[in-house]
Amino acid sequence: MTSPLIERTDAAATAGARLRRVQPTLVLAILVLVVVLAWAVAPGFFTPVDPVQGDAAAALQAPSFRHLFGTDATGRDMFSRTVYGAIHSLSGAIIAVTVGLVLGTLIGVLAGSIGGVADDILMRLVDVLLAIPALLLALSIIILLGFGTTNAAFAVGITSVAAFARLVRSEVVRVRHSDYVEAAFGSGGRYLAVLVRHVLPNSLTPVIAYAALHFGTAILAISTLGFLGYGAPPPTPEWGLMIAEGRNYVATSWWLTTLPGLVVVLVVVSANRLSAALASRR
Amino acid sequence: MALRIPSPRFAAILALSTAAILLAGCADTRTAGSDPAAVGAPITGGTAVYLEQQTYTNLYPPAAGFYPNGGIMNQIADRLVYQDPETLELEPWIATEWKTNETATEYTFTLRSDVTFSDGTPLDAAAVAKNFDLYGRGDADRALTVSEAINNYDHSEVVDASTVKFFFSKPSPGFVQATSTITSGLLSPKTLDLTLEGFGAGNGEDIIGSGPFTITGEKIGTELTLAAREDYAWGPPSVEHQGRAYLDGIQIIVTPEDSVRVGSLLSGQADLIRAVEAQDEKQVEAAGFEVYAPQTNGVNNSLNLRFRHGILSDIRVRQALLAGINRQEVIDTIYTANYPLATSTLSKTALGYVDESATLVYDTAKAEKLLDEAGWTRTGDGIRTKNGQKLTLVVNEAAPQPRSFEALTLISQQLAKIGVDLQILKADAGTYAEAIQDADRVQIYHSIVGRADYDVIKSQYYSTNRNVLLNRNPQDNSIGDPKLETLLEAVASKVTPAERAAADKEVQDYLAAQAYVIPLFEEPQVYSAAGYVQGFGFESVARPSFYNVWLNK
Repeated sequence: MTSPLIERTDAAATAGARLRRVQPTLVLAILVLVVVLAWAVAPGFFTPVDPVQGDAAAALQAPSFRHLFGTDATGRDMFSRTVYGAIHSLSGAIIAVTVGLVLGTLIGVLAGSIGGVADDILMRLVDVLLAIPALLLALSIIILLGFGTTNAAFAVGITSVAAFARLVRSEVVRVRHSDYVEAAFGSGGRYLAVLVRHVLPNSLTPVIAYAALHFGTAILAISTLGFLGYGAPPPTPEWGLMIAEGRNYVATSWWLTTLPGLVVVLVVVSANRLSAALASRR
Repeated sequence: MALRIPSPRFAAILALSTAAILLAGCADTRTAGSDPAAVGAPITGGTAVYLEQQTYTNLYPPAAGFYPNGGIMNQIADRLVYQDPETLELEPWIATEWKTNETATEYTFTLRSDVTFSDGTPLDAAAVAKNFDLYGRGDADRALTVSEAINNYDHSEVVDASTVKFFFSKPSPGFVQATSTITSGLLSPKTLDLTLEGFGAGNGEDIIGSGPFTITGEKIGTELTLAAREDYAWGPPSVEHQGRAYLDGIQIIVTPEDSVRVGSLLSGQADLIRAVEAQDEKQVEAAGFEVYAPQTNGVNNSLNLRFRHGILSDIRVRQALLAGINRQEVIDTIYTANYPLATSTLSKTALGYVDESATLVYDTAKAEKLLDEAGWTRTGDGIRTKNGQKLTLVVNEAAPQPRSFEALTLISQQLAKIGVDLQILKADAGTYAEAIQDADRVQIYHSIVGRADYDVIKSQYYSTNRNVLLNRNPQDNSIGDPKLETLLEAVASKVTPAERAAADKEVQDYLAAQAYVIPLFEEPQVYSAAGYVQGFGFESVARPSFYNVWLNK
């Protein structure tokens, strides 16, 4: 590891270089996320068609200019359902990341700053959480809380608490023993004040990058739960649910699963690309 | 198999014969399905691969109404009486003849004397008596229920080794037909000592019947292997084929995904499949495969309105739901010609059917008017409300029924137009089983029942049978509509066919007049088989029969 000082100069130099050199994949990723965000905020602007009421006469039509993503078995427009579904996936992912970030940071900061027995206990708890497969943990939490998008999002958030806690703790431990924190203590800084003013801000950069990465994972996890029937109840146009509903038509009506599936893939890849960009700015 | 190095001459013969087989195979695929008349004499041998949609749950015969259970039971167990699936006539099988007294309270059956179970025990009068004592009375200690096909059973009497008498506390006119159903499969006396768990999945090999096949292997939840009985010689006399089954065995593989089942059939990995969903029928037919759609001949695929729930206790709301659902559109959009529009609670091919189509008219204007009158008001296109309560109803997704979810989704869209919010319960098995017994959680119950007897309507609606309308409240056992109970009791206690048909008509008229039931369509079981599969047949409610099946390849 290089010293913090040299690292910062490096980062400043590359950041300057990056500004001059446009990265097409990053621009594309941001564009995808902006569009999907717009879908979530104002779906009616992108499609005039009702996502829940179908036209039975136009059932199972292949993608066309009229129905960009085709129609499903009861004649609902799949593009419209995908657009209206954005809000469920995005709000779910935001809840999941917030839960993971807030609880994980709290545990990580406490463990890293107090140290000793408290650190041991908290980290063993985190070990236990990590030992349980994420999907199984999420399912158990949903069974306890009941079905629904919010509960599914909360469950996905809980499963990521451990990973956030580990990351934050390691950063806090690193920063905690750096000279400027010792100096802050030495100059009479109170424990909490030093923690909030010096330790926390300097520990969070990799955590933010991880949160962006987790945003993509959360969309995927929420869709998985929706696919398995633990998320939003039908006829909500939730992405995972839509993919599940179309899976019996894979051989005859490929668009029902393929197109919403591609949208999920695009959003997740875009979130990952953004996360990579954020991480490299350290 | 040991490897031997063949002599050059042997190798040449082998090559030639392989080429011949390959050529024959090619010719076969070209003609398969297109000319079924051009098949020769049945060939004995081979194993058929049969893909099931769901895993079986239990092989206690009265639980065999569930199609995956019945599909196995029909191969391993014989019945006293054979019901011709075409004519619905009752013909001799294990019983050579039977007679009853005038009040239908006593039945005497005379049995064949040459029948044995696959464990070697003889199928005699004592064994038959033991079977019906269990199916007719159940055994609460072992959690074994009374067969819903058998009513008013009292006791049996073994007259001699080949004669058995049954006594009933009240007339039980449906009993002879009941002995022909899959739920009266004859099992070995030892098997009858099992508990409900003993009959359950995982213990398939313990279930001993006298049928043309026996269970020889099981991978729990995924696979079941059946083998033909070499000494089987007691098929129903009216069936042309006698002696052992043509097939050596059947491999039943559970394949829940519709697209995977169809794909496996089309690619030749399976010989027969159950539950070809409507959207796949065209694809299967286009590829030259045979589609079979036998009818289930019982209570139609229907929505049962639980009239004891607050919202549905108003007949105007029930009538509005009936008038607000465009059943024809459901059939046209979701199903195919194999799913005829229902015209009564009972199917056209069921015994006792009467046409009630005059009461089943789609009329949204009438529906809206009825709801207005009932006090359910709406502003604009929203969901109707009354005293702050929303007009929201919950219907269960009937997972075993074809495309239940899609049909309900469409119906929910139709009802939204008249201001009714219909939600679909889609849940895991445990939650589901609990919810459907509670009118506060499921107000509309989607289901069917198949049985080719006048009694079938009683099976579906009677308080101590399926009780789908929840006329009997499961919490306090109170009865909501005593008149319905009386009418259903009449069905199961009248003696002559004419009287029973009249009783069935009364029930259908009453259900229609009260708008308790919204019948959707007459449900078939849709199967498909490769062109070389010959002799694939069904019992009277469309459960598969492999006894006559042979592979023309």
